[in-house]
Amino acid sequence: MSPLGLLVVGAPREALAEVQAALSMLPTRMPVPVVLVVHRGRHEVLAGPLGHRCPLPVVEPDDKQALLPGRVYLAPAGYHLLVDGGCVCLSREPAEHGQRPSIDALFESASEAHGPGVAGLLFGGHDDGWAGLAALREQGGCAAVIHAEEETDGVERVPLGGVKDWLARLVSGTRMKVLP
Amino acid sequence: MSPPERGSELEQLELELLLEAVWRHYGFDLRDHARPLLLRQLRRYLREERLDTLSALQGRVLHDADALEGLLRALAGPPRPLFADPAFFRSFRERVVPVLRTWPSVRVWHAGCGSGEETYALAILLMEEGLWGRCRLYASDSSEGLLADARTGAVPLPEEEEARHYLEAGGRRALSDYYTRDGNWAVFARPLREGIFFTQHNLATDGSFNEFQVVLCRDTLLAYNRALSHRVHKRLYESLSRFGFLCLGRKESISSTPHAAAYEEIEDSGRVFRRVA
Repeated sequence: MSPLGLLVVGAPREALAEVQAALSMLPTRMPVPVVLVVHRGRHEVLAGPLGHRCPLPVVEPDDKQALLPGRVYLAPAGYHLLVDGGCVCLSREPAEHGQRPSIDALFESASEAHGPGVAGLLFGGHDDGWAGLAALREQGGCAAVIHAEEETDGVERVPLGGVKDWLARLVSGTRMKVLP
Repeated sequence: MSPPERGSELEQLELELLLEAVWRHYGFDLRDHARPLLLRQLRRYLREERLDTLSALQGRVLHDADALEGLLRALAGPPRPLFADPAFFRSFRERVVPVLRTWPSVRVWHAGCGSGEETYALAILLMEEGLWGRCRLYASDSSEGLLADARTGAVPLPEEEEARHYLEAGGRRALSDYYTRDGNWAVFARPLREGIFFTQHNLATDGSFNEFQVVLCRDTLLAYNRALSHRVHKRLYESLSRFGFLCLGRKESISSTPHAAAYEEIEDSGRVFRRVA
């Protein structure tokens, strides 16, 4: 496994409670930035509720804001969130799969920016996110999915309760590689 | 020929060549556009045009200026509905207009106006607030084609949602009072159309062209990378008179830009800044 540079998470609106639960399992010393897309309505306030049980700060970034380790960046309503190196790149391009922010947009740009250093966690139940997850796999990144009906090659299936272990494995792999 | 793999070295090379060609042949500098966004826009454009590669697009663009116009339009994104961000217009009305009233004359620059929807929305607002007589409204974009659309003063007939946004923005009449219907199009009233000066200006390469008391540049800089957006911020700063207002998009900040210290953010205004130094 290559050193982790970024964790991306995508979820449809219906999975909000589970996303909340998954965020609560993030290690307090998360060594990389976490970027999160949840399908959302235009006026919905999400950063507060999502941050409630999360040990890391959850922020809605502005355009070109730097992505720092140990924070969760939530895609703002009405914009796609793309990753540009170590920076946020927001876009008002048309919706994808009827969604803006779209999970595919985030996952594809993240895998192009960080190659095999991206891990992706997808909450199934929507069309959006699968193409992004495939792109991430092609680049050698680590991919996991929660609640998938279908089997997909190279994509680990993780139950919600298993997210903690999955994260622990990612992070410990990173520690070993990053530290001299 | 099969298309190159996404994100491959070959695709990177083709992208560099395309951008260099557009710059050298037409003087349009797309090299400092935000790469992830630019790539998405270009890939979508290739799909729409049924082209396999960026090289094929390069060939077409170099030999046909109309193809360049098509490309620039694809990069400009879809037109936005009128009053698309009612919260901004409401705070402009409440926080900026009272100050403008105290000034004898006001020059307004809408940078990156695209096909003009937001410019007309602003013009309606200024008219309702009794400022139209002493305002000069300049609107610029790098694409001559989009400006030509904007000058016609015709936009797709507003839907119910846009009429509602207009009211949420503090509108005092009915949106339909400002246009006449022509089939599926709405044509804005003559005083609105004739009071706006649409002019070609490329934020990426052209200098400042006047001093303004208000500059609107909303969601235009999203398309640029950090270096170019800083250069543009310098230009916007130079174009803004002291105590003038800079209006950005909802998720655009000036905090890391070169002149951040020269501005004060107006509280609860959703990204309206006042130049204080």
